[in-house]
Amino acid sequence: MNTNMAVCIAVIAKENYPLYIRSVPTQNELKFHYTVHTSLDVVEEKISAVGKALGDQRELYLGLLYPTEDYKMFRKLHNSFTDVMCNPFHNPGDTIQSKAFDGIVSGMMVQTA
Amino acid sequence: MSVPDYMQCAEDHQTVLVVVQPVGIVPEDQFFKIYKRIASVSQVNIRDSQRILIRYRHHYLPENNEWGDFQTHRKVVGLISITTCATSKEWPQTAERFHGQKEVYSSTLYDSRLLVFGLSGEITEQQRTDVAFYPSFEECSDVEKRVEDFVESIYIVLESKRLDRATDKSGDKIPLLCVPFEKKDFVGLDTDSRHYKKRCQGRMRKHVGDLCLQAGMLQDALVHYHMAVELLRGVNDFLWLGAALEGLCSASVIFHYPGGTAGKMMGRKQSISQPLDAGKRHRAGAQEVLIDPGALTTNGISADTSTEIGRAKNCLSPEDIIEKYKEAISYYGKYKNAGVIELEACVKAVRVLAIQKRAREASDFLQNAVYINLGQLSEEEKIQRYSILSELYELIGFHRKSAFFKRVAAMQCVAPTIPEPGWRACYKLLLETLPGYSLSLDPKDFSKGTHRGWAAVQMRLLHELVYASRRMGNPALSVRHLSFLLQTMLDFLSDQEKKEVTQSLENYTSKCPGGMEIITLPDGLKLPPVPFTKLPIVRSVKLLNLPVSLRPHKVKGLLGQNISNASPFIYSPIIMHNRGEERCKKIDFQWVQGDVCEVQLMVYNPMPYELRVENMGLLTSGVEFESLPAALSLPAESGLYPVTLVGVPRTAGNITVNGYHTSVFGVTSDCLLDGLPSVKTSGCLVEVIPALPRLQLQTSLPRSGTLCTLSFALVSTHLRKLHSNGSMRVSVYFDQILLHPRLATLYPNGKFLEKVFGEFLSWELDEALSHLPLKPGQSVTLTVNIKVKLDFSGQENLLQDLNDDGISVTGLPISSPLRQVLKPRAETKPVGSESSKAEYSHIKTLEAVLNFKYSGGAGKVEGYYRELSLGVHVDVEPSVFFTRVSTLPATSTRHCHLLLDIFNPTEHELTVRAKNNQDLVLHASECQRMAIQVDKFDFESLPQPDQESIRFSNPKQLEEERQHAQGCQINSKLGICWKASVEGVLNQLVLEHLQLAPLQWDVLVNKKPCDCDVIADCKVGDAVSLEVKLTNRSKNSVGPLALNVVPYQDYQNGVQNYDLEDGVTFIGSNTFYIDTVKPNESTVCEGALLFLYTGDFYLSIKFQDDSAGRELPLAWFTLPSVHIRALDTPPQAGA
Repeated sequence: MNTNMAVCIAVIAKENYPLYIRSVPTQNELKFHYTVHTSLDVVEEKISAVGKALGDQRELYLGLLYPTEDYKMFRKLHNSFTDVMCNPFHNPGDTIQSKAFDGIVSGMMVQTA
Repeated sequence: MSVPDYMQCAEDHQTVLVVVQPVGIVPEDQFFKIYKRIASVSQVNIRDSQRILIRYRHHYLPENNEWGDFQTHRKVVGLISITTCATSKEWPQTAERFHGQKEVYSSTLYDSRLLVFGLSGEITEQQRTDVAFYPSFEECSDVEKRVEDFVESIYIVLESKRLDRATDKSGDKIPLLCVPFEKKDFVGLDTDSRHYKKRCQGRMRKHVGDLCLQAGMLQDALVHYHMAVELLRGVNDFLWLGAALEGLCSASVIFHYPGGTAGKMMGRKQSISQPLDAGKRHRAGAQEVLIDPGALTTNGISADTSTEIGRAKNCLSPEDIIEKYKEAISYYGKYKNAGVIELEACVKAVRVLAIQKRAREASDFLQNAVYINLGQLSEEEKIQRYSILSELYELIGFHRKSAFFKRVAAMQCVAPTIPEPGWRACYKLLLETLPGYSLSLDPKDFSKGTHRGWAAVQMRLLHELVYASRRMGNPALSVRHLSFLLQTMLDFLSDQEKKEVTQSLENYTSKCPGGMEIITLPDGLKLPPVPFTKLPIVRSVKLLNLPVSLRPHKVKGLLGQNISNASPFIYSPIIMHNRGEERCKKIDFQWVQGDVCEVQLMVYNPMPYELRVENMGLLTSGVEFESLPAALSLPAESGLYPVTLVGVPRTAGNITVNGYHTSVFGVTSDCLLDGLPSVKTSGCLVEVIPALPRLQLQTSLPRSGTLCTLSFALVSTHLRKLHSNGSMRVSVYFDQILLHPRLATLYPNGKFLEKVFGEFLSWELDEALSHLPLKPGQSVTLTVNIKVKLDFSGQENLLQDLNDDGISVTGLPISSPLRQVLKPRAETKPVGSESSKAEYSHIKTLEAVLNFKYSGGAGKVEGYYRELSLGVHVDVEPSVFFTRVSTLPATSTRHCHLLLDIFNPTEHELTVRAKNNQDLVLHASECQRMAIQVDKFDFESLPQPDQESIRFSNPKQLEEERQHAQGCQINSKLGICWKASVEGVLNQLVLEHLQLAPLQWDVLVNKKPCDCDVIADCKVGDAVSLEVKLTNRSKNSVGPLALNVVPYQDYQNGVQNYDLEDGVTFIGSNTFYIDTVKPNESTVCEGALLFLYTGDFYLSIKFQDDSAGRELPLAWFTLPSVHIRALDTPPQAGA
């Protein structure tokens, strides 16, 4: 059951900094930081490609970066993320400090302890 | 083959490899000078239509050369040796060495050259094609020409080989080409099998393709490659199939991208335009080849190569190139020993994709390349590999991945397995990763807006930079990086990390203090200074006005002059508008040259521990300013904390406060306000006016710190208690405390805030003025007299207050004419509690402000003066309260007791003395009753019995009693007296009681006056004569009056028996009629009583109600009561 669980979940702001990042083996968090950080290159590449195609009208939706339908967690995560964004007290651009979001993420993570 | 050439790119397939090497001892710099000249001949055109490209290497592993058959561009076909030869004697040895070197590559070499430098003489005369002699490294102008000739000779060999192989299609006996590791596999293989033949054919095709490509015959190469692919696919010769596919790709790339895919990395810039032209020409030629039917017969392998009409049919489309590369790499991947080939193919494909701007696919290739295992790599090779990966990622725009690999490479430089870690290289590589982590080393980039980038990774990188620079032995650099880390990452550091970072920073700075200078690295990178604007955080900067006493004021008359100079108009909105910005920053008060000026900062310590800020001072411009730095210690997570920075402007003009400087953890920082948008400031520009003298004011009285009744602060003198009717002298000193010699002029100007009665303050100016102007250090004294005389009388409410509280118990109207029996009560009642004391504090306050204006020196010339104010605050309070005044009749009607409840509200001991009385000592806040027996006053005896004189006489008579008010010891010299208050209180009360009544009644029983509780004795049965005498001392006639004598018995239990019809008989009437009594006359009425029984009898003499008109005061009609004791005739008395 644990095989399909995530080890690291990160939400990145469009200005290229983490809004939220959490990984399960906490002792090697930095490794995940590096992994997520370097993976952003692809995202950036996608954005720049989209930007070129549509000119100024930048479409920030990148499509599926990953076969999300294979993993229910993406939908769950996205729903939770939308909830966070809908919070009138949340300032877009701030790091996510929602307990509910935290809970959802925890549920998706591998329970290693 | 173990060492990959990461610099390779697809178009390298068309080059021929020439190795240039030194033989014997050649100075390195000279060698590379020649090498560069040789390398400049990268392309040689042969017979107009053909061209040949050359790749030079000064170092090439013979091991790699063995793969020359596999891909001919790996084959060393030419060798240029460079040598020095001083004498002809050395020549044979040199030639020998050259031959030895040739041997290394002998299997593949087409041709070789030897360039000999420094040799002259007969040997040089010999004409040898493979040797060129030059007298020195400077005199070798035809090196390029020689190389071109050499290349041409190579071309001839190449062309012959190509033709040899290409025409050799009869299939007689094609040798099997193989790579080194294959050789043993083919031992004992059936060489006659169809399969084997096909394999040989395919490999040869591929080889010919390579040669064609090298010879510049692109289309031929394509054709051959296609054929090779077809052949090799049939026999599942995957390694060579991969090579054939890669060849196909290379040829197509060369066709599509004549500019090359290597970018700037290869030194081929100078010839870029030539291959372009050549390529175009060549393509035209290739079309002809295409029509060649022979070629067509071998064509048509790949369907999609012919999809595009009008294009070279055999050429792959850009998309196909990638597909074929992928395929080739997958085939290479099957062979462990072909790792280098695979890796290089990946690199080449990435470069092609980079040109095509297909970054994501390129990254796939790179991803693959990362996982290719080349066996044991040396540390250096690892570093090289990571660096090249980083470069390639950079090439495709994946900056983060590039940075990641660069960082890995940097870490590899200092891996623990390396005996001598290359910290410098590591540091250099780490610096190169900065952009990938969107990190710049300029703190200004972080001062605005939200934090950019990925803090956790950035922090790690900065830590590594700090460590690397420390290991490099550059502590200044580590301090700078650590400061940067602390400044920019403060929000992301945990409390523990903050502690660690600051600790290590302090460690570093103890050896090398951090400063504000720009650090320039050897490679030219400049590290800007890092001011600690967050340690502490400054929230606001406020310039403070001078203290009130030091504020300069402008003389009004001079102000007008200035305005008229500035503009002929009184008011011009345009000017105002233009200066709007300037004005909003300029502050509307002035500082004075030479005076300590203050700037208040609100600071905040974000650290979880105490922050020590040293040497905190102001940064200013415009005026010479002597900043007096402060050191402060801010508690952990302090709230806003005010800090006052001071300094002294040394010249006059406009001063701008630009910022502040601090020294925290051994790092000095200059924090400019321009760079701190979060700092609130109300303007930083202030005018400094020329120096003014400074006077200090002292008084002979203690100075009060808490005078807030006035809205502005003053040098205040607080006379806490000045008792009513006191006066005192206060000396005011002026000390000239300005240090430089300036003359001060004093303009005293007394101003009262409150209208006070009489002469409150008075002073004598002339004497003080005669001492002016004051020289520095001098002082002048001005004496101010304070005199207070206040009337506390007439404060009925005051008395009422006093009666209401528990001290005055009776509650009877004081003016009651009836005899009052007061309840006995404590003689002294100490009033100790504060609350009750407060009730007595009926203090009147007098306040005044004395203003002194003075000026001098340069400031006076400019029209400025200073004002010094002396606030005088005098609390005046009555020294004695008579809380209650009452009289008690004495036994004699001629006397009475004056009862005074005296309260001492002062804080001093008070002695009250009255005539005939012993001194009454009143302690502070003590209330005591004083009883004074006074003779009643005979107004008649006074010379002037009119109303005026009565007023007058009273004080005189009372003075004897009033002598007791000696005042408190301390204020005795002030001569306190409270006349007025006593007048007021006593006048009303005492007048009626202390006077002798104008009608004097004398009652005589048996001819004896009966007064003062004297008991008259009489015998039962004897007639007792009763005489009532009225003496009229008033000015008017009194009467007629009717007196009624009523006898009664007092049972001493509150019951009085008036029913004495049987006991007492009047002889005659019991009513006396008194006719009108004229002034100074008297009337006597006589009657007699007969007591029938023994007993104590009282006679109450009352006026009949109907008698006199009651216009006269009741007190006048008070008759003494008569006490008669009737006794039996005692037998012994009768005897």
